Amino acid sequence: MVTVKLKPLEEIVDSLSGFEKIFIVGCQLGSARCRNGGLREAYRVAGYLELKGFKVVGVKSPGGTCVLDRLDYSARSLLNEIKETADVVLSLACGAGTQLIAENVPIPVKTGVTTLFIGAEREGRYFEEYCIACGDCVISDTGGICPVARCPKSLVNGPCGGAIAGKCEVDPNLPCIWFKIAQRMEQIGELEKLRKRVPPKDYSISVYPRKLVLEE
Amino acid sequence: MTFREKVLKGKFVITAEVAPPRGTDWKPVVEPLKPLKGKVDAFNVTDCQRSMVRMAPLSMAKLLKDSGYDPILQLTCRDRNRIALQSELLGAYALGVENVCLMTGDFTTLGDQPDAKPVFDLDSVQLIELASQLNSGKLLNGKELKGKVNFFIGAVYNPFAGPEILQAWKLEKKIKAGARFIQTQPIYDVKLAEEVSSFIYSLGAVPIIGLLPIKSLKMANFMKKLNPTSVPDSLVKGLETAKDPASYGWEFVLNIARACLEFSGGIHFMLVGKVRELADFIDYLKKHRDYSVKF
Repeated sequence: MVTVKLKPLEEIVDSLSGFEKIFIVGCQLGSARCRNGGLREAYRVAGYLELKGFKVVGVKSPGGTCVLDRLDYSARSLLNEIKETADVVLSLACGAGTQLIAENVPIPVKTGVTTLFIGAEREGRYFEEYCIACGDCVISDTGGICPVARCPKSLVNGPCGGAIAGKCEVDPNLPCIWFKIAQRMEQIGELEKLRKRVPPKDYSISVYPRKLVLEE
Repeated sequence: MTFREKVLKGKFVITAEVAPPRGTDWKPVVEPLKPLKGKVDAFNVTDCQRSMVRMAPLSMAKLLKDSGYDPILQLTCRDRNRIALQSELLGAYALGVENVCLMTGDFTTLGDQPDAKPVFDLDSVQLIELASQLNSGKLLNGKELKGKVNFFIGAVYNPFAGPEILQAWKLEKKIKAGARFIQTQPIYDVKLAEEVSSFIYSLGAVPIIGLLPIKSLKMANFMKKLNPTSVPDSLVKGLETAKDPASYGWEFVLNIARACLEFSGGIHFMLVGKVRELADFIDYLKKHRDYSVKF
């Protein structure tokens, strides 16, 4: 999922200064899952903004904010509702969802979150970056564990010399992912594969903005 | 004989580390090296080590060369993509800098400019391959070079890092990619230095054992923090009881240096604090009847 982090409420208030009628959009995908920008958080922010004297004209989530059909389907258009009632949108969706709203309403759109990463969740509270969407997935060769995303140096030929006592040199609280990769590759009988030299990555395929177009 | 010639002929080599200044005053860095001229075979010029801005290592290497020293240019993958790395290497060769020691590099956030963007376009293995490709007359994209290069390529190895098998394979990859000499992280144990040396020899490169004199108990504890298993208890105990810990730490390292003459290809002093003493020690080794033949 895409994880986000709610901005400090004071910062949100600052970004809305001068506006009166605020429409808050949450997102039930990543933002809600990591409890930083779903409907629940949207209502919490709404309460705070009202205390600060703002008028909150709507608090809604279209489900997945980054899907245009969800924002604007014929039976009920969230975009139209926003246009008719608000003079600013506060979006708690990830960067993609928030931009999609901004592209489709004539009024200013402010974000109440910062988009963090594509991550995995454990125990409902630990979220860790697992994928940087590099466009050239290598995990079939590394035991299903990504060194590109989970090693700060994105090393693909094995660990650096800073991998001491299983820890990463960048952050002593972070285990070096290559220990996990070695363990996993041994478990599945593929350790020897890590002996093979890996050539430089082709970064031309991950030049953004990227696109995916499905055939008709 | 140059550093390269000595290594290739199987002579024992002595290298030392020089950090470029945090500014432009290079003379105070080079002048104190005078007693080591003709004694230390080559000086590694570090590439903004610990991710702190220093003068460009290539400029410093050229200044060293002009001052009569043989430099080993260290290049890391931290700050340059493959275009910049190739460009830097070509420039180095044109200026007469032929020895290079190639490594991944410390991460950006470890230094005093943690807000910098980390590059790591290539890793150490790929950078060594790149230098070998230049040696074969071609750029990384296969296009012909105008004017040939002939780098003498080295790499680094930390015997205390893990996982052991992957570190070993990475070293093997570096040597297969073209590394001819391997400089290690500081080692304080003769037995380990011997094992590491024979391992590096077995892979087809020449080992140069890293030595870092420990000046105080505080420094030992700092080293232990970085690398818990690298500093043996006997060294810590000795430092605790020594009247002059700095001399004790110095002698400790010199004993390892002497031992390395028996089984290794060279030694690498990662600190040139005691220049005069180091010069005397090298003189002593070169004149010693048991060791002189190695040089």
